[in-house]
Amino acid sequence: MSRRRAVLALLAVCVLGCLAENAQGQALHYERPVERAPQEKDIGGGYVTPKVQKPLPRRAWLEILDVALLAAAMGVSVWIVVKRRSRRWLVALTVASVGYFGFYREGCVCPIGSIQNVTVALTDPNYHIPMVVTATFFLPLLVAVFYGRAFCGGVCALGSIQELVLLKPVQVPRRLDQALGLLKYVYLAAAIWYAVLPAAQRDFVICRFDPFVSLFRRSGFAHMLALGAGFLVLGMFVGRPYCRYLCPYGGLLSWFSRLAARGVSITPNKELDCGLCAEACPYGAIEEMRAVRRKCLYCARCYAACPREGPLVKAFVPLGEVR
Amino acid sequence: MSGPGLKNATIAAGAVMVLSVVALAVDYAVMRGWTPASDAQIAALQEKVQRDAKLAPVLAAEQKRIAEFNRARRARVNWLSLVLVGAAAGFLGGAKRLLAGQARPPVRVPERGPSAVWPRAGRAVAAQAAAAAPEIDLTFVDGLIEKEGRGAEAAIPILQAIQAHYRYLPDEALRRVCHLTEISPAQIAGTSSFYSRFRRSPVGEHIVRVCHGTACHVAGARQITDELRRELAIAEGEDTDPSRTFTVEEVACLGCCSLAPVLMVDEHTAGKLTPATACDALAAVQPGERA
Ligand code: SF4
Ligand code: SF4
Ligand code: FES
Repeated sequence: MSRRRAVLALLAVCVLGCLAENAQGQALHYERPVERAPQEKDIGGGYVTPKVQKPLPRRAWLEILDVALLAAAMGVSVWIVVKRRSRRWLVALTVASVGYFGFYREGCVCPIGSIQNVTVALTDPNYHIPMVVTATFFLPLLVAVFYGRAFCGGVCALGSIQELVLLKPVQVPRRLDQALGLLKYVYLAAAIWYAVLPAAQRDFVICRFDPFVSLFRRSGFAHMLALGAGFLVLGMFVGRPYCRYLCPYGGLLSWFSRLAARGVSITPNKELDCGLCAEACPYGAIEEMRAVRRKCLYCARCYAACPREGPLVKAFVPLGEVR
Repeated sequence: MSGPGLKNATIAAGAVMVLSVVALAVDYAVMRGWTPASDAQIAALQEKVQRDAKLAPVLAAEQKRIAEFNRARRARVNWLSLVLVGAAAGFLGGAKRLLAGQARPPVRVPERGPSAVWPRAGRAVAAQAAAAAPEIDLTFVDGLIEKEGRGAEAAIPILQAIQAHYRYLPDEALRRVCHLTEISPAQIAGTSSFYSRFRRSPVGEHIVRVCHGTACHVAGARQITDELRRELAIAEGEDTDPSRTFTVEEVACLGCCSLAPVLMVDEHTAGKLTPATACDALAAVQPGERA
């Protein structure tokens, strides 16, 4: 309990830090750069200012709506998984998230990439991030402290698209799974390292190597498109490879979700110990018949496989047929 | 959609998916091949324009053509990728349903014909038992009708009293009720079939309640019921054995799921049953004498 308080305090300090540090970043003001540049009459000689090519940023209230939608989607995810315990509803949420946060919002702003932006904002006094980014980064962590990785379950566009392509999961051997799982912390460390470098050498690696964003935008470097497609094809057989082995934000969420008191709980009353849930979990997140908060990606597959959940259950129909 | 239709649709969606990926790749390759050439052309033209201003319109036209080409390509890629996303969604959805259909091969229980299921009884025994239904003393019905009256509104109290007395609604008694009162056979048939508390066939001496709550169902309540029915030679569609000793009912959770599967014989509970021990549980009420 007190550990949770400490973590919450830490989060609060970081948020305040971001907000205070970046007071100037909060107002979303925008000027057309050409208005400060020399004008037609100064240049003379029949010069015509070209039409501004730079698109306007998204309207402020729309950005706030995005944050509200993010919060709402996480709320819905928690409700579906903790209260409704329904895989179907979660799939609906997943599709909606891929549609909105993925293809419509083109995968940006996302908390994964904002790890670096937040790090820079906290370390470089000349770099400011808008409140929207601060909120996008911290909200899922806050939810994770209480309910586990609800963000990963049908909210994160990157996770959701992998969730949807999963066809025939193979169980990755436990040892290998754990070893590969360490990669994401290496990536996280590298991302923070690249973010705290001085401005000239700074590199936003997470966004640059985000494998799915060019798919969402349906344009981008050929190698990134191929990488994304590769992850999706791999993801048909290995559950959410990016989430489990690479996503640096997944690493953060793992840490924070250790404190979660609630989350996916398989058969809360008396269980059968039949192990169907562990077999159904494509992410190896069930250990000793319990969903491990730090690994559980909130997909609700274990509920769908459980003979104690809801109306019975295709797996047992053959017993019912013996008349 | 199901079966072969689903399979064909899935294959078609997969084919569209692959085709659009190929088309996108070819498009990309063509673009890569084309761009350096056009860049070189533009550079050459620009050089010429430097020397000869009259060539400027040619350069402008060329640039316009290239811009047009790029715009067209962008549009093409855009709709191709939309087709790709749609086809991929169709393919994945179909493939998932197909895989779900075959994911867990159903546990095949060996086929057993009716003769194997009802080894000792079968319909013959049931029919014989029905023929041997005990004689019914109808004086109770007469007295009851005197007490409750002959109006149609007395139907339910009369039926309840008859059931309380005989423990079911004997046909003879019902016939007598129709005969003596204004209650019509249709009304009796409707009422007695609507309320599941009313039984139309005699109940056994002892009621066996086999729990079919969730835990018990999963733990094999179905097999317990089947075993009891087989052992007691209860015919299909019946719930009581021919000697009218046991009536087997399926009930909801009895509240001791940790003992699943559970049954109750009258007031005695027996748990952790297997088909092998289910019949022994009946001995709680009638040692030594099982049908
Ligand atoms: S692990 Fe990362 S990519 Fe996967 S769902 Fe969670 S935040 Fe998204
Ligand atoms: S334990 Fe596994 S199957 Fe269950 S919700 Fe979590 S990730 Fe999904
Ligand atoms: S389900 Fe059988 S006692 Fe509860």
